[in-house]
Amino acid sequence: MTEVPGMLRDSALAREFWEHGKSETCPIYDMHGHMGVYHSIFFPRAEAADMIRTMDDAGVRLLLFSHHAALHAPNLANQPSIDAVRRFPDRLRAYCTVNPNYPERLAEDLETFDELVPDVYVGFKFLSDYHKVALSDARYRPAWEVANERELLVLAHTWGGSPYDGEEIVRVVAERYPKVKLLLGHSCHGAWDAAVQLARDFPNIYLELTAVFDDRGVIEAFVEGAGSDRMLFGTDLPWFDPHHAVGVLMDAEITDEDRHNICHCNAERLLAPIVPDLVHAPHGLG
Amino acid sequence: MHYFDCNVFFGLPSRRPPTPVATLQALLAAMDRAGVDRALVWHIAQHDLAPQTGNALLTQAIAPHSRLFGCWAVLPNQAHEFPEPPVLFRQMQRTRTVALRVFPDSHRYLLNRVSIGELLEAMVARRMPLFLSVKRGISWRGVYDVLAEFPELTCVICDHGCWGEDRMFRPLLERYPNVYVDTAQYLLDGGIEALVADYGARRILFGSGFPESYFGGMMMALKHARIPDEAKAAIAYGNLTRLIDGIVGEVGAIEAGLSATEGGEA
Repeated sequence: MTEVPGMLRDSALAREFWEHGKSETCPIYDMHGHMGVYHSIFFPRAEAADMIRTMDDAGVRLLLFSHHAALHAPNLANQPSIDAVRRFPDRLRAYCTVNPNYPERLAEDLETFDELVPDVYVGFKFLSDYHKVALSDARYRPAWEVANERELLVLAHTWGGSPYDGEEIVRVVAERYPKVKLLLGHSCHGAWDAAVQLARDFPNIYLELTAVFDDRGVIEAFVEGAGSDRMLFGTDLPWFDPHHAVGVLMDAEITDEDRHNICHCNAERLLAPIVPDLVHAPHGLG
Repeated sequence: MHYFDCNVFFGLPSRRPPTPVATLQALLAAMDRAGVDRALVWHIAQHDLAPQTGNALLTQAIAPHSRLFGCWAVLPNQAHEFPEPPVLFRQMQRTRTVALRVFPDSHRYLLNRVSIGELLEAMVARRMPLFLSVKRGISWRGVYDVLAEFPELTCVICDHGCWGEDRMFRPLLERYPNVYVDTAQYLLDGGIEALVADYGARRILFGSGFPESYFGGMMMALKHARIPDEAKAAIAYGNLTRLIDGIVGEVGAIEAGLSATEGGEA
């Protein structure tokens, strides 16, 4: 090809990302990450320092994450997440991960939770499909109530049709906890129309895009149906390369304003009341 | 950098996706918009309806477009549903068709020597690439089984999944010299770099998985991967060019100003 491709010709932002891999004017807030090894996948860059290098390459300013140990090893629980944030306080914040199969661990976490917001935590992470406990189950209630009272983030893994975190369950908890900033991890994956409807029905719901980037057409459908002001960048890092997600945003038939909303504007709006120092810092990237 | 996409289809699937690409014209427009120079193309009807019909639709559509190469789907021919290999290869040569696909699980046969051995032997002799999509029509066990029987087969494993299937395909890369993987759905952070470090760039082909995936995603991932520019060029263009060069005699003549050397050889 000798001509400049359309996806670059039509967008100054796309040209900047294409040439440099990142943008000075469009920092990225990755709202859905993890960390550490996990049994069913090989990660070349699983640890915090390597992940930060990836973030530098793609212009990811801040990653909100839950360590795999917090999700899957109750013996270790949230301590690896806390340690990583303390090591990289300018680049990482954690979700306090709740495994509702161990309510006693949640009680312990809640005892120290307030001390760790906002220097470590920005909210909670629920992984209901894996823990096999529905988001609406009473065992989650203490965390929901704290998040609702303090207007914090809850990143919930959501999957279309799931009896644990599918669109119907999401509707129940969204009605029950209207002040939570509810991030639908994977946007009820596959139930795209239902995800759009949830965003329309509940002003506190946001569509988080991890694993959505590989389904062509959904980004445009979300922009049209829910609005780009309700969409959030996410990659499951260290699972998915943020450059892939950026390339999708360049290729998707949306505007630069939409791209700014998805990459940083919405995240900045959500995070400003919780971690104002991080959000309002200059946009210089490593 | 030039891009030669090894994994693209067009046509309307029987189950409607969010954004179908109904026609070849729509595919070409999307390629131009993204900046994809060439593609090895198949038609979804090869899978959803029947290889015979899908192959005909594909061949008719790509005929006027020298930047597109065809990938037919095949079946066993005990029931005389397909021509014998020599006849099949002559037909392919006349239609710029340079590779084959199979969907044994979807099309209800076994991909092994008993069912389709004569064709696979002939493909080995001609070094003709066989594309196997783990997403559509064959399991990992099926891939392992056919390679155990045909260890010299030139085989491109594509659509291997976003869950970082290294533990599935790396043993095959190590055991079989003519196995390749494409990049469609290989979203793993650092995955391309790790693969290149361990096996070199020559075993990886750029594939987008369009229209189910965006072109731009893997293009951007490859462009900014921490690997040498020569490795990027080989993955993006050179390796596929090398694989199909010689399958159809006129491929070289069709080249329109872009050579394998320009595209990069690893």
